[in-house]
Amino acid sequence: MRELFSKYKIHLFTGIFLFVALIFYSFNLKNKEHANPFERTVMNVMAPILRIGAAGNGFVSVVWSDYLDLVNVRKENKELRQSIKILNTRQMENREALIANERLKRLLELKTSLQTPALAASVIGEDGSPWFKTLVIDRGEADGLSEGMPVVAVDGVVGRLIKVAANSSRVLLLTDHASAVAAVVQRSRARGVVKGTGGGRCSLEFALRDEDVKVGDVVISSGIGGVFPKGLNVGEVTMVKKGTYGIFQTVEVRPTVNIARLEEVLVLLQQKHD
Amino acid sequence: MIRFVKIFFIIIAAVLAQVTLLSPYLIDPFQPNLLIIIVVYLGLRSAARFRGLAAYSLGLLHDCFSGLYLGLSGFSYLFIYLLIDKTSDRLYTDSRYLMILVVFLASVICGLLDLLLLLIFSAANGIYTTLLPSLLPQALVNALIASLIFTFPVSVAQEENR
Repeated sequence: MRELFSKYKIHLFTGIFLFVALIFYSFNLKNKEHANPFERTVMNVMAPILRIGAAGNGFVSVVWSDYLDLVNVRKENKELRQSIKILNTRQMENREALIANERLKRLLELKTSLQTPALAASVIGEDGSPWFKTLVIDRGEADGLSEGMPVVAVDGVVGRLIKVAANSSRVLLLTDHASAVAAVVQRSRARGVVKGTGGGRCSLEFALRDEDVKVGDVVISSGIGGVFPKGLNVGEVTMVKKGTYGIFQTVEVRPTVNIARLEEVLVLLQQKHD
Repeated sequence: MIRFVKIFFIIIAAVLAQVTLLSPYLIDPFQPNLLIIIVVYLGLRSAARFRGLAAYSLGLLHDCFSGLYLGLSGFSYLFIYLLIDKTSDRLYTDSRYLMILVVFLASVICGLLDLLLLLIFSAANGIYTTLLPSLLPQALVNALIASLIFTFPVSVAQEENR
């Protein structure tokens, strides 16, 4: 009997174990909806661990989803920045086009108001030295320009053409020392010659001492000399000095055209007629 | 050949910067003269042939975009080049500080020479009232630009050429 037992010991214990497990299972079938003490103990022990695990899992999940979000956000941010750049550029272009349109409209009005035919030109360069005052424009001989032609802007006289090439020309500005325009004070009709003095200023030369010239007077082209048509704005008197001696008075004139901000000009297509 | 193309592009870039690119942003007396820096370089450091001719041509190029008188800067650039060339043997021409100083002095001398020639040969009376006050600012700006340009050391190839 003992030999038999020892021979089939493992099988016996396995059978008993299975039987107990079956019994345990069958007992629990009745209370399948309620936790038994074993279940309760296991659950109680495991709950905090599960909680920590769940929290950790949540953290990992959040980190992962945040990471994915970040990747998307970065991409989205890049795209948004790009579109902002494009929109800003468009806005700037629109604004620039609007300003240019306004400027050109005024230039066109001037062109239609002038009796002589005129050609619009853009300023493409300035003088290489600070002591000369010239501009480079994008029109030349091919457009029918020649030396000596008057150049005007919306606000008044700019200068005259010198050194005309095929597709570009240089404009001697009113403010250059070599420049001179026959002019008249609009109010009192006092005559003189507006000469450039450099530094963005001019002077009305040869205005007699007795002539009535006051600060604020408008100086216009007189038409004498045949270069500039009569009546174009030249400048405004900013200073008048009458010395004790001499036959002339010193008159400082500020050009009406802001030469530093010139972008478009009109070249009057007329030859000098003496 | 590549060297000449390089020099050509440098000169074109200098003219473009001087006449078109920098002028709207810089107020009047502070406009640089980049061509005179090239003339000083020709006089002090370059070993190329026809340097005198190159200096004169640079002057003529400058005159094409400045003032009324073609040949004015041509003469003054040539004069400055010859002056520098004759004295460069006695100078330590590798020095960056010397280069800056010479650019400053060359700008001043060029301006004064222009003034003298204008007073003698042209009818631009009173030009000294514009030229003299703008002389020092322009010379300072030129010296500043020269200091930036000559911060970079001379390349080995250039050293070998010399």
